[in-house]
Amino acid sequence: MSITEKILCSKSHEFLLDNGDGTHTIGLTDYAVEQLGDIVFLELPEVGSEFKKGETFATVESVKAASEIYMPVSGKIVEINETAVDAPETLNENAFEWLVKIELTGAAEEQNDLLEYEDYKEELE
Amino acid sequence: MTKETFLHDKHVQLNAKMVDFAGWHMPVQYTSIIEEHKTVRENVGLFDVSHMGEVFVSGKDALDFLNKIVPQDISKLNYEKAVYCQLPNKNGGLIDDLIIYKLGILEYLVICNASRIDEDLNWMVRNSRGYDVKIDNRSHEFSLLAVQGPKADSLMRKMGLDTHQESFTIKPAKIAGIKVLASRTGYTGEDGYEIMVENLHSEFLWDEILKQGEEFGIKPIGLGARDTLRLEAALHLYGNDLDENTTPIEAGLSWSVPKDKVEDYNGKEVIMGQIANGTSKKLIGLKMLDKSIARHEYEVYFNGEKVGHITSGAPSPMLGANIALAYVKNDKEICTGATVQVMIREKLHDAEVVKRPFIEKRNKVTI
Repeated sequence: MSITEKILCSKSHEFLLDNGDGTHTIGLTDYAVEQLGDIVFLELPEVGSEFKKGETFATVESVKAASEIYMPVSGKIVEINETAVDAPETLNENAFEWLVKIELTGAAEEQNDLLEYEDYKEELE
Repeated sequence: MTKETFLHDKHVQLNAKMVDFAGWHMPVQYTSIIEEHKTVRENVGLFDVSHMGEVFVSGKDALDFLNKIVPQDISKLNYEKAVYCQLPNKNGGLIDDLIIYKLGILEYLVICNASRIDEDLNWMVRNSRGYDVKIDNRSHEFSLLAVQGPKADSLMRKMGLDTHQESFTIKPAKIAGIKVLASRTGYTGEDGYEIMVENLHSEFLWDEILKQGEEFGIKPIGLGARDTLRLEAALHLYGNDLDENTTPIEAGLSWSVPKDKVEDYNGKEVIMGQIANGTSKKLIGLKMLDKSIARHEYEVYFNGEKVGHITSGAPSPMLGANIALAYVKNDKEICTGATVQVMIREKLHDAEVVKRPFIEKRNKVTI
């Protein structure tokens, strides 16, 4: 199964992937990365920090501007992608590169407004 | 309604990412800002800058009129020469910055920023009372193509231009058989030309330059790279680094303001006063000492005190560092080599005060 069949996407262009081991991965959709262009800076939160759904947890900067990245669900950060912090262009090079892994701290209903990838793509058109 | 240049369809065909800029639907990038930036530094790039304004000023009093509205001495401007100018209000604050060309004895061409064309025209008309002068906005008749980079000269020569042309000069010429006005100017810090052409021929010329430029590695360049290129060269962007509350002296443009101009001009008292007595704020260049990027309006601190703000900031593809321009209070200690801090998302980040321009400019051509 390809990643696009497994992820859920937010309207603010983050994806959420259930890793099946009690953790979830968050990253930026391919559309978001394409819109940003050359990514030159990435700031991720510290492991252990907690965020509610909709809160800003990271910042990504293209050549032109800084953009905030929002939590698609509430969660506690358990791992961050240090490689991407050191080399932000990784996000341009690899589609669906991950940013952070989290443990969910909110209710399952939080995922109700997230879209399957096919529906997300349709909404964009 | 968003306006489109006569080259709009070309940008769309080239799959450019389009954005609204100063009321125009313009290409911000075709492939990658960094790649386009490097193309201009290493080879040659083609820009559509047709959104810029072209205002013809002519008539018996054209010289006196221009001398009243800019600090520069237009009586010293020779035929087919260009001069970088500002358009100050009565307080010396800048309504716009301009390039003025002398096309004939009583005829001048004024190039304005797209975002300021209405303000410029209003101001010019208001100031023209009592002068026998015609102010003719012909922006809608012309397209403006910029060919910039170390290989611009070879490409233009190949296309039939007599490139024995000094920087800051303009000449009627033919490129690929098309009548143009060729100006050896630009906004990148590189050598190159800005080519004024009738709209009718703009698409042909655009295609022809890209075709003939292939062997020189030409690429179309969007406004994104235009911004990073001008920032590396520390060229001011109106609206970011210049505004109606900033004088040319505060903006670090003293080099462009003559000290001995006899004629009175708008803002002269303030501008000459600042040349004599100094200013309360000044423009500085900054290089970030970590990976963070300073952006427009971020606050600048020195010794724990807020001293100013960033006006432009971006990564410098050539330096591999993040650079910025900032206005700070005119404190002697905030000098080249000093460390200041920029507030970025509620944290202070160190930046070093560095000389402007950030890179060595290569646009000075003499023959």
